Amino acid sequence: MGGKVTCTLGEVKQRADFIIYWGGNPAECHPRHFTKYTIMQKSKFLPRGRKDRTMVLVDIRETKSVKAADIFLQVRPGRDFELITILRAMIKDQHVADEQLAETGLARDVLEDLVARMKSAKFGCMFFGMGLSMTRGKHMNSAALLTLAAEMNAFTKFVAMPMRGHGNVTGADVIMRWQTGYPFGITFNRGYPRYNPGEFSTVDVLVRGDCDAAFIIGADPGATMPQPAIDHLKRIPTIVLDPHVTHTSRLARVHITTAPQGIAAPGTAYRMDELPLPLKPALKSPYPTDEEVVRRINAAIADKPFWLPEGSQPQMLTAQV
Amino acid sequence: MLRIVNGKVYDPANGIDGQVREICIDESGRIAQNVTGGRTIDATGMIVFPGGVDVHTHVAGGAINFARAMTPEDHRRTQAFIRTKTRRSGLGGMAPTTFATGYLYAGMGWTTVNEAAVPVLSARHTHEELTDIPIVDKASLTLMANNEIVLDLLENGEYERAKHAVAWYVWAAKSYGIKAVNPGGVAAWKWGHDAKQLTSPIAGYNNITPGTIVTQLARICEELNLPHPIHLHCNNLGAPGNIATTIDTLKHLEGRRAHIAHSQYHAYGGDGWESMCSRTSELADYFNSHPQLTTDAGAVLFGDTVTITADGPWQHLLYKLTGRKWGNLDVENETGCGIVPYTYRPSNLVNAVQWAAGLELLLLIKDPWQVFLSTDHPNGGCFWRYPEIIKLLMCADFRRECLTQLPARIKKHITLPEIDREYTLYEVATAMSAGPARALGLTRKGNLGVGCDGDVVIYHDTDDVEQMFGHPRYVIKGGEIVIEEGEIRETPEGREFLARPSYDPATDEFMKPLFEECYTMSFENYPVELERIERAEIMECSSE
Ligand SMILES: [Zn+2]
Repeated sequence: MGGKVTCTLGEVKQRADFIIYWGGNPAECHPRHFTKYTIMQKSKFLPRGRKDRTMVLVDIRETKSVKAADIFLQVRPGRDFELITILRAMIKDQHVADEQLAETGLARDVLEDLVARMKSAKFGCMFFGMGLSMTRGKHMNSAALLTLAAEMNAFTKFVAMPMRGHGNVTGADVIMRWQTGYPFGITFNRGYPRYNPGEFSTVDVLVRGDCDAAFIIGADPGATMPQPAIDHLKRIPTIVLDPHVTHTSRLARVHITTAPQGIAAPGTAYRMDELPLPLKPALKSPYPTDEEVVRRINAAIADKPFWLPEGSQPQMLTAQV
Repeated sequence: MLRIVNGKVYDPANGIDGQVREICIDESGRIAQNVTGGRTIDATGMIVFPGGVDVHTHVAGGAINFARAMTPEDHRRTQAFIRTKTRRSGLGGMAPTTFATGYLYAGMGWTTVNEAAVPVLSARHTHEELTDIPIVDKASLTLMANNEIVLDLLENGEYERAKHAVAWYVWAAKSYGIKAVNPGGVAAWKWGHDAKQLTSPIAGYNNITPGTIVTQLARICEELNLPHPIHLHCNNLGAPGNIATTIDTLKHLEGRRAHIAHSQYHAYGGDGWESMCSRTSELADYFNSHPQLTTDAGAVLFGDTVTITADGPWQHLLYKLTGRKWGNLDVENETGCGIVPYTYRPSNLVNAVQWAAGLELLLLIKDPWQVFLSTDHPNGGCFWRYPEIIKLLMCADFRRECLTQLPARIKKHITLPEIDREYTLYEVATAMSAGPARALGLTRKGNLGVGCDGDVVIYHDTDDVEQMFGHPRYVIKGGEIVIEEGEIRETPEGREFLARPSYDPATDEFMKPLFEECYTMSFENYPVELERIERAEIMECSSE
């Protein structure tokens, strides 16, 4: 199990006649998703637009997105993993016991109908949100859904894609991957990248008090992180780069106002399907861009003595366990 | 300025075969007749090659970055680069990080690489990664054989307009040429199908077939005067019996120039996995009688790797065969890619045939100017294992020793045991540098003549071929010593080669409305701005 079978949003717009939103509320959280990419679009292959597409919503409660759905499946809270596993069995005609079904809160005929529709779709797409990836089971839920999508390809074309948060989270993830091999939760404390979410993630490092300085760009942990993490940010020299004064700025030693990305600073943003979009600023800002500030700090650090003794060349490590 | 004296020089572009020559590099980083001042390297007991050129590799962009995300378990056990004053940290392994990619290539004497598969839509991403690959110079190829706008034009017989659209795309992507992957098959995959028959219309179309796409794109590349001809990944990759498709594809080129990517994956006989056998001698014969064609081996080495290709349907099959992780990314209107981790095992008959077939092609195609060293990194093996292949090519005894490790029944499936040829150093220099540089149309690469780029690699002349090619004594890039005694000395930034074919200025107007229909990105945001390419070197292509 593992991997990810996905596509860019244009493929969904052009081809997806069957769309499942799972654990997300696009009507409120990604308001342009329906109109720009998914159910409302007409295309060469789906000329009647909304009429040519079926939309299924899976969630633990009724949200504003229900109105847009053809089918709403209310899963019992914390039972997403079980439901996905049952669907994986049902698509393969494996037996599922009544008591297993009962746990999900959904009736057999409803799921049989869903499976039949999934298999008869020409192009199915599942979007999953934080209601799936951040609740009981966490990344196991995402992995199970991605596997369901992969396995559906034995019957018809199927893909899956996470609904990412706002800002350029995807961009950070993409760049960390090409520079270090890992998307987040990375430490360089041995001089090369190592990865362990839960150990090296920002919040864990702060809560344990492992770092002796913090440098924060484009985020406001002072507003969202648990109190012990915030307390540590107050104790150590914290530097914030942000166009606005944030909660974190207030507890930081230094706040540097920078030009807002996309509005007054150029660059690249990565969309949730990892397509790069150029940012073309319309305005000029009196403040420097994040990039300029980081470059200047980096140049100043380069003047300091290097962390390794002069002349030493550490050998490359060949095996790490 | 640099002077290299007393070394035995292998410079096939100038017919120099091991004679002691002096090589001078001037302050602009080019090979010169003579220089005064500067450092002198005494290369007594050493051999001097032009820097290696990789004609086909996957080192930057959405697909390899997807592969990085899928293989954290490999990152953890692999070679780690610790940050020093001259080098940034990174990881080697199956899908190396960008900085490590530059260090690893330069570390074995390669100074130019061609990223062989770039969707235009995410070309911006590819260029950002290429910028982060230090030392080596770079080029990239745009994926074109499944682009629905171009296919629609060909379907309707609008050849001229298709040609302008292709030229427009090449410049929009800021790429160097055109890659055709599984023509028609990736487009069909978007409905879960494939294109297996060269002469049957592809899914969703009435007229065009994989064969006609090949013919027309080859003609377009030629008429646009691109420095590199069509770079073709044939249909039916990896499938038993695909030799028929491959030969049929070559015939569809109708005598035009072409580079056939990773031929090893396209040279099989048999009608199933049990009967699969190598048919490289047939393919090699075709190359031997068609000097306008070039190819790279796409050789396979035993061990772990991750396979990535724009060939989505093949990756779905591989996932079903291995039951391992599967990544797939379909890119709107243009192409797609699939990713599956894979282990080539000598005990596996299919893998053993693949291993032999790659070497057979390198040995049976007579002219080293036609067949180049590649593993289709990371598909057949990682690029940093090239020295192992060089050893296999240079030492027939070593090959025989390796053959004893394979299942006994392999003999009926391959021809490698009957081949005694051993590469000379001159032939190695051709297959790893001079040949691929010429095929790419990079006139200042793979050549130690006056005026060419000062990219030079100097090896100790020893009998241990793998050690020698894996650990050059010096690597010089643009006149700068970047590697000395196994240490990275300097990490200059490499350049990027772009081709600018000419097209009708009205093409913009024509493309714009099609865009709104096919893409989810605005037309204005689609082309990569020239300012985004750091150290671009543009080749103007004038079409008659
Ligand atoms: Zn390739």
